Amino acid sequence: MSYFRELIRTRELLANLVAREVKGQYRRTFFGQLWSLINPIATMVVYSIVFGLIFRARPAAGDPSGLNIYPLWLLSGLLAWSFFTRVVNGSLSSIVSNASLVKKVYFPRMQLPLAVTFSTGFTWCIELCVLIVALQLFGGFPLPWVPLLAVFMVLLAFFATGLGMLLAVLNVHFRDTKHFVSILLHMWMYLTPIIYPIRLVEAAAVDHPWALVIYRLNPMEHFVLVFRDLLYDNRLPLVSDFAWCVAAPAAVFAVGYAVFVRFERKLAELL
Amino acid sequence: MNAPVVVVDNVSKKFRLYQERNQSLKAALLRRRKTIHEDFWAVRDVSFEVPQGEIFGLIGRNGSGKSTLLKTLARIYTPDEGRIRMEGRVASLLEIGAGFHPELSGRENVFLNAAILGLSRKEVLARFDEIVDFSGVEHFIDQPVKNYSSGMYVRLGFAVAINVRPDILIVDEILSVGDGAFKRKSRDKFRELMSDGRTVILVSHSLGQVRELCHSVAWLEGGHLREIGDAATVTRAYEASLVGG
Repeated sequence: MSYFRELIRTRELLANLVAREVKGQYRRTFFGQLWSLINPIATMVVYSIVFGLIFRARPAAGDPSGLNIYPLWLLSGLLAWSFFTRVVNGSLSSIVSNASLVKKVYFPRMQLPLAVTFSTGFTWCIELCVLIVALQLFGGFPLPWVPLLAVFMVLLAFFATGLGMLLAVLNVHFRDTKHFVSILLHMWMYLTPIIYPIRLVEAAAVDHPWALVIYRLNPMEHFVLVFRDLLYDNRLPLVSDFAWCVAAPAAVFAVGYAVFVRFERKLAELL
Repeated sequence: MNAPVVVVDNVSKKFRLYQERNQSLKAALLRRRKTIHEDFWAVRDVSFEVPQGEIFGLIGRNGSGKSTLLKTLARIYTPDEGRIRMEGRVASLLEIGAGFHPELSGRENVFLNAAILGLSRKEVLARFDEIVDFSGVEHFIDQPVKNYSSGMYVRLGFAVAINVRPDILIVDEILSVGDGAFKRKSRDKFRELMSDGRTVILVSHSLGQVRELCHSVAWLEGGHLREIGDAATVTRAYEASLVGG
């Protein structure tokens, strides 16, 4: 609890670190903050061509929104995933990449991964606004679902930050972690129904129901479904998905927080 | 003598020396649970007290444990044995401009650096002009600091740090910053800190400076406290040992 008080006391430092990340990232680039939009759009174009046109993934039309546009369907799920990977990767390396600071000044080290979460959240909100405008233009009606979406964004932030803090400590001890995690995240993405509808998994697992059970143990699967329900279909998510999206972040964040606090004091000398 | 605001009680700090670089998973798996290492005590059983308003110097050869002790006082390391008690706000200045972001302007970096050292935004706003004035980089304050000369960079960092005005300031070898005029300015600022009743703990290799600034001095050798006392006596003894070999 005293650590939490320390975090509150140094909240202005957090604000400054977030500003540093946001301002520093696109300094001296021609497009500036626009880059944070160009990246997801480029990803969307590639996936839409490969999986929408070539592999012909055909997700069901939005119910009740009636939308039937693969790129928008894709982005509704990809949005959750891209935030997750950016926060995990960023906070994972936040301690090592700020080594010069950690070795020279004392402050609660948790501010470093937290700064990654908030600065990523900032650019993420811009992406979200653009996506909402696009959905609205093409006939969806996501606006009334935005408050509920905000709740799930916070839950996802807890999930990603908890995992990121855990991995940040591990990465200081074993620098292999970073490389290992980048492979893991790559596989994890394909094991989550982002670019293909979960219907295809259900169809493939029809003879082996246990495979689907295992597939659905992935918390990100539930987050992606919830984001799609809210943004693309404009409907309430299932209670079971909701439960997953509360339980998984609570557990992961509690473990990540506890581990980080426990090992924090040793980080400086291991760098 | 004022009441002590820093109490260092039997503090020891050890590092593990590994036979191999252990920061890979492979190495950890290969040696299983057995860790092949020996303990190296960088600081061993050091105790002293610093009264309020004193400037306290740490001297010793390279590798004597001064910097480790200083980092332990600054809470960057935690002692393996013993305790450190400090009263009031502590700021440490182990490196000038630690945390400066090269792409950000001088102005933005002042706010960032001050926040790292523990100042609130309101306090920085109140002292901003004074900081810029002291650093002497007014014309360049809105330029990215990567375009600063190394002198300007260091002066700005020092100006921020000295204006944090903590109750206890921990400093590593920084009074030799800048040109002659700036050195004089920083020394005056230091005296001002002292007359405000603030406490300073510093490491320096310049014995002249230590004699001039410090009230009392601790001499470390091989991690142990060799001698502690008033500045003139201890620095003279230390000098004698250097001459002797």
